[in-house]
This record gives sequence, structure tokens and C-alpha cells, in this order.
Amino acid sequence: MTAGEITGDTFEVFGTTAVLLVTSPDAAAAARSIADRLLAEVDLACSRFRPDSELSRLNAAGGEARTISPTFADLLAAALRAAKLTGGDVDPTCGRALTGLGYDRDFAAVRAAGDAPPRLTGPVGPVPGWRQVRLDHDARRVRLSGGAQLDLGATAKAWAADRCAEQIASSAGCGVLVSLGGDVAVAGDPPPDGWRVRVTDDHAAPASAAGQTVTISAGGLATSSTTVRAWTVGGRPVHHIIDPATGEPARSCWRTVSVAAGTCADANTASTAAIIRSAAAPAWLHDVGLPARLVRHDGTVETTAGWPRDDGPWEAA
Amino acid sequence: MSEHDARAAARDRDAGLAKITSITWRAGAAGVAVAGLLTVALGHHAAAPAGQSRSAIVIPAQPPQPTAGSGQVISGAS
Repeated sequence: MTAGEITGDTFEVFGTTAVLLVTSPDAAAAARSIADRLLAEVDLACSRFRPDSELSRLNAAGGEARTISPTFADLLAAALRAAKLTGGDVDPTCGRALTGLGYDRDFAAVRAAGDAPPRLTGPVGPVPGWRQVRLDHDARRVRLSGGAQLDLGATAKAWAADRCAEQIASSAGCGVLVSLGGDVAVAGDPPPDGWRVRVTDDHAAPASAAGQTVTISAGGLATSSTTVRAWTVGGRPVHHIIDPATGEPARSCWRTVSVAAGTCADANTASTAAIIRSAAAPAWLHDVGLPARLVRHDGTVETTAGWPRDDGPWEAA
Repeated sequence: MSEHDARAAARDRDAGLAKITSITWRAGAAGVAVAGLLTVALGHHAAAPAGQSRSAIVIPAQPPQPTAGSGQVISGAS
């Protein structure tokens, strides 16, 4: 087995770009095979845009209980954990709010359609809330109450990145980095100087995009932003990070938040919560001990809990 | 034993049985209450799915380190 040389693979998944890096070129093909299998399972479990997904069928079940796959049970458990750990700020019952904003198909199609009239008229109001999701994980039974409609966009990609990295590292015995649309998970022995990650607004930006380069050796790093998955409805600019308290896109003083955590799922939970918590986010991240980089709309930067100093301001990527 | 003594003995026996019954009921009720409290306190642990039992966001082993140049990968929103 050749060691020490990093081999990369880039491909499309979940309507975004995936990057798979391994420290052993001999492991690349097997790593991609593991990733393809796991990502296909996740897509079939929780895509909101596939009528045959378990999530779509559960949303259409009218509140009746359903038996679900182990993968969907794990994804739901991760989403409910994120909700619990953030006091409900990262809530999986935002499906109806997003649909009401016209985000009811792959985002490329939403963006291509241009400005559209809103699907819902009048005040939206709070989302039903994560406690309306009744999951019995061991029995793999779930029921939605209170009109809840699921969207696992805040946690599923990051959870999948963690699982891919763990399974590949365990199987191949080498260092692995998995990025799914900018949600980064690493596992196994890292390269000698760590994994170099460029942190910026948009995961599809060029490597030279305005931002900061850092290294990580374990865990995960995730970025949430109000600037990328954004579109207009009835002439009103909107984005995909829903504040559960209002059912509307979060009004945040931050355009982009990046967080490092023990897992990519936890990093993404915290970065999404930080957007929603707005001015209260730095104190919360500091108290939790999470290193984070928060970028205001004017490009100025604030960091917490040991994140390296950043000499912004930065123009949007 | 006179009839009076026999009645007194029967009364004492009934009073003793009533006390034992009362104590038994109280002990049983207390047991049920304790079992209920334990169920509430520990039930969520029993129900926690594998891999999801961590009760707090996990902080990284070390914060990101500064470095120069471009990244091997980009972390941004998608």
C-alpha cells in the first residue's frame, strides 16, 4: 500500500459537490465505492425531492406511524439530537416553511425558475416543532403529529460526511477527508500537517476565494451561510435557514458562520444555530467551547474559542 | 378465657392486621413511586439510539490551526 500521497475524487451528490480525499492512493477506489453506497442510502432515506424517499412518504402519511429503515432512523435521531442541543433552534420540522417559500425541488431548479409568487400567503408562524416527531429508534417507528413536515437539510449532509469518513477510515486504514457541499469530516490518521481547509462563503468558490485557510486533524468543520442557497419570492430575497420561532428565513447579523467540532454533524448544528441566534451566537459558542469564525454582512470577522485570528474584512465570495 | 377477653383479643388481632395492611400498602405505594421516578430519570438513557447518546455538542480535540496558502478542500455553504 502506498502511503503519504493524497488522492482526491470530486463528484456530484445531493445537488452539490462532494470531495473525497484519502492518504493512500491504493484505497481510493474502495473509498469511493463505500461513499457511493452510503450516500445512495441517505438520499433514498431523506431526500425531500424524491417521491420515493422515506421522508417524502412520511411527510405524506397524514400523521400515521411508519416503520423506517435503520439509516432513516439514525438520520432522524441525529436531527432530533441537533434540535434538543440547540433548544429547538435547529429544527427538522421546517419542511412546510421551505415549501411555502418555493423551495420544493432541487435548488438548481428553484434558482433557474427565478422570482416566483409565494406558495403560502399570510403569516407563516412558528414551525410545528421537533417534539412533534415521535421516533422510537429501537422499534424503527416514527409518527409526525401537529402537521409537521420534515426537512433534514440542516443535519443530513453533515451526518453522511461523518459516516462516510468513519467507514472509509475503518475499512481502508488510512486518513480520509469527506466534504459534502462544504460540510467537512475527517477520520483516520491525517497528513503530517493536517488537512488544509479554505473557509469561505460558498463551497463552490475557487480555491483563491476570499477567506481563511486552516488545518484540522480530527472531527469536522462546517459552514452555514445566508448568501448561497438564496433566491427571491414575490420580489423578496429569501434563504434556506429557517428560524423555527417565525417560520421565516432567519434574520441574522452574520452572513456566514464556520464552526469546528468533534464531528461534522455537531459543527453544522452549531453553525446553523449561530446564524439563527444572530448577535447572541458568539457568547453561546464561547460558553460551549466551540471554535468558530463568524462573518458579518460587511465582511468583518469575529472568532471564538481558539479559532485562529482572521484579518478580514472580506468581500463575499 | 372469658368472652370479654376473647373479644379484646379479636379486636387486638384485627387492629394488628389493619396496621400490617396499612404498612404493606404504604410500602407498595412507595415502591411504585420510586420505580416511576427511576423510569422517568433513566428511561431516556435506555431509549437513546446507538451513536446518539452524547448529551452535549462535542468540542474538537484542538481548534483549527492557521496555515498559509490554498486549501485541499473548501468549507463554504452549499
